Amino acid sequence: MSLWSHELRLFLRQPLAAPLLALLLLLASASVWAGLAEITRQHAAIDRILPQQAADEAAVAAWATREGDAGNVAYYTHYATWDRPSPLAFAALGQRDVAPFVLRIRALALEGQINESEAYNAELALPGRFDWAFVLTYLAPLFIIVLLHDLVSSEREGGRLLLLTVMARSETALWVRRVVLRVGLVILTLVLPLAVGGLLSGAGQPILGMAGLAAAYAVFWALVCVAVERFRLASVTSAATLAAVWLIMTLVLPGLALLAINAAVPVRQGVELTLAQREAVHAGWDKPKEATLAAFFREEPAWRDTAPMRSGFHWKWYYAFQHLGDLSVAEQVRAYRAGLERRNALSGRIGLLLPPVGLQMVLHRLAETDLVAQLAYQDRIRRYHRELRHFFYPFLFREQPFGPADFARAPRWRDSADTPRPPRPGA
Amino acid sequence: MSPIRLMAANDWRLMARSRVAQLALLMLLALAAVAALTAIAHRDHSNDLRARFQAQADQDFDGQPARHPHRMVHYGHFVFRPLPALAGFDPGVDAFTGSTIFLEGHRQNSANFGDVRQSSLLARFGQLSPAFVLQVLAPLVLIFIGFGLIAAERERGTLRLLRVHGRSAGEVLRGKLLALAGIAAVLLLPACLALAWLTVSAQAEPVAAVLLTIGYAGYLGLWVTGVVTVSALTRSARGALMALLGLWAVTTILVPRIGSDVALRMAPLPTRLETDIAIQRDLHRIGDSHNPDDPHFAAFKAGLLARYKVSRVEDLPLNYRGLVAMEGERLTAGLFDRYAEAQFARQRRQAEVVNGLALLSPAVAVRSLSMALAGTDLEGHRRFLRQAEAYRYTIVQGLNRLQAEAVTYVDDGNRNSDPEAARRVRIDPRHWHDVPDFTYRSAGLGERIRAAAPGAAVLAVWLVLAAGALGLAARRLGRDL
Repeated sequence: MSLWSHELRLFLRQPLAAPLLALLLLLASASVWAGLAEITRQHAAIDRILPQQAADEAAVAAWATREGDAGNVAYYTHYATWDRPSPLAFAALGQRDVAPFVLRIRALALEGQINESEAYNAELALPGRFDWAFVLTYLAPLFIIVLLHDLVSSEREGGRLLLLTVMARSETALWVRRVVLRVGLVILTLVLPLAVGGLLSGAGQPILGMAGLAAAYAVFWALVCVAVERFRLASVTSAATLAAVWLIMTLVLPGLALLAINAAVPVRQGVELTLAQREAVHAGWDKPKEATLAAFFREEPAWRDTAPMRSGFHWKWYYAFQHLGDLSVAEQVRAYRAGLERRNALSGRIGLLLPPVGLQMVLHRLAETDLVAQLAYQDRIRRYHRELRHFFYPFLFREQPFGPADFARAPRWRDSADTPRPPRPGA
Repeated sequence: MSPIRLMAANDWRLMARSRVAQLALLMLLALAAVAALTAIAHRDHSNDLRARFQAQADQDFDGQPARHPHRMVHYGHFVFRPLPALAGFDPGVDAFTGSTIFLEGHRQNSANFGDVRQSSLLARFGQLSPAFVLQVLAPLVLIFIGFGLIAAERERGTLRLLRVHGRSAGEVLRGKLLALAGIAAVLLLPACLALAWLTVSAQAEPVAAVLLTIGYAGYLGLWVTGVVTVSALTRSARGALMALLGLWAVTTILVPRIGSDVALRMAPLPTRLETDIAIQRDLHRIGDSHNPDDPHFAAFKAGLLARYKVSRVEDLPLNYRGLVAMEGERLTAGLFDRYAEAQFARQRRQAEVVNGLALLSPAVAVRSLSMALAGTDLEGHRRFLRQAEAYRYTIVQGLNRLQAEAVTYVDDGNRNSDPEAARRVRIDPRHWHDVPDFTYRSAGLGERIRAAAPGAAVLAVWLVLAAGALGLAARRLGRDL
């Protein structure tokens, strides 16, 4: 124990040590604060929207239910959906700045609605956000490099190496102690603000997973430093070598991997299916109505026995060909999604080789802020859209009058059960 | 040969022998080549694809059968944002902004299918392009090659030898500057070739290419000066390396991200959903065409009846439904414009905050200069959004006018009950051909140069400051020698 405290005293007496750790603590704390502020902002945006949405719906209900026609209501009412950040999202904000976390949909064909974007400032999204995941992935290795690159060489260059190795009971134990001490302090500096942030956001146990990842990542970089030191380079050469390794691992190879993945898995089906779906939906106007309804009834047999079309226009026919438009591109939707998932899976595989990439992938999976989470939100929207359609179908196909009371019975978007709403910091 | 050039030539000989310098330089050149080839190929491919999609959308529109004009309003149109030639050098925000918008009546849709939303988190590590190589990686290579230029000589004691040979501190610094500037010129070379290729193959404006080269030369010159200054001011080579790496990490990695966070905090944007609701609310207030008792449309109707001196809308020479559609579209489009401009103004306020922070980071300054000159900044996307909206308004109002002029009020009212009327309201599809195609007008050179000016000014300030620091270093070095 006294050996450890002795080493700690020695380490902290170095001119760079304490200021570096303080700087890292400051950066990690600032990133956690910025992350918490961001998810508070996202919660606040969702909360702010709810009353506005209610007022908007009330305004539509006031005139659209007057004639009791469900077709009008379904056409003019936009239903709000939202995707609250998970309690861990503060640590890794991920794609939530470029993908919408609130989206309104109608009971019309969905494929033209579900890929809508948020109005965000692309120039701000370009450099990425300052969150804890960034501090851990990019900055922490630099701090470890500065602290460890001259562990042995500084003693050698100071002329103390021989004395040290003679005096130490076990040379290995000495170096292990020094490395563990430095890396341990770095991990502590990183994890402490994370733990505080986790407590404030109510993240609970999963925060331990992130802390574990941070520790493993720090140990990885320590091992890299130790490996480079084994070449017995001058401290300046080892610093340059380690900085080059960091650059290649965090910037160059991920950039090359992105180029390779995007070239290997093109995803232009997104645009193609949007063009095709619009053709299919609008062709519905010109197709024989009986054929359209017959095709729809094959999908939704429950309404097969409803009254045949009499006049030139009927909402039930309109909503039937809207849905058929979606179905006509189902294959392309699957292909598009498979392409996105394939891109993500390939990135995960790159992550097995490149620890910075792997770390980012796992952190954002834990935080539910990655592409997978974005697709999960879309899945929930699809299910909700289905609910909405089936809510309106009885009124449309059985020609039941739609009153204000029915308006209130429409299915509502709910916060998903698996991401319970956390207590908000400062609330 | 002048003594300064002699000293530089000597440094080059040393660098040519140094394994680190060789490796760093070769790696960067290889990377720059890969970045240039892939960025140009990606730009060409994306641009072709978008042109193909645009041609298909135009053809689809023109090929629609005889229809009621209002059906065409909802059939709508797709427009695609072409990529400027220099996107092959600096793709800017292209991956972050959607490249296509669906245009239809009464609605303003978003630009969709940006690359970043369609990629894994890997996209957030930064996209390898010639611009990225110069902004982020080239300074590091200059640091690796240059940190010891003076500091290591001081450690070895060879600095005093120069003094013995009668060289002043100023001459030593100028020699080192020249040596490192030579390396910077080599680093700039692949980018110059890429720019030259783009002017030849994709008709990029030569002036913009030259200005980009000058901008990046200034940026690299700044790092050359910085590296030499720090190397002259620090006692050890290791100290110089640490200080320079810290400087690099803060200015190119840390500050841009913090800048985004600060800007978002100081000027938050409302979500699209809120804007949609606000537009609906305002529309409800100024004129609701669904409401039979709406005062705005009641006045509109009364005005029409008075102008044509008739008492019923049936007697108007034009189809009243078409006229109402035109009036309704006029009101919504006015609101769309107002809210879009408010949104753009907020984005510009955010950009001002970031530009303020560029005073802390030349990397932010050169990034904004580069995107502006390449035409891939957010302003380019805003241009597209504005032009798309103007185009949407033109075609929708053209179609509404057709409804007013080519379809009678009586037929329009009976189209769902009378098959003959339903046939008559479907007007000749040659009208769809008459609708003009969308052509995107990119920003002119003058406009882009003006947009690049703030970044250039910040870089100039930095260069002046760096020159001052270099003077300081020369005095200190003079004392040391």
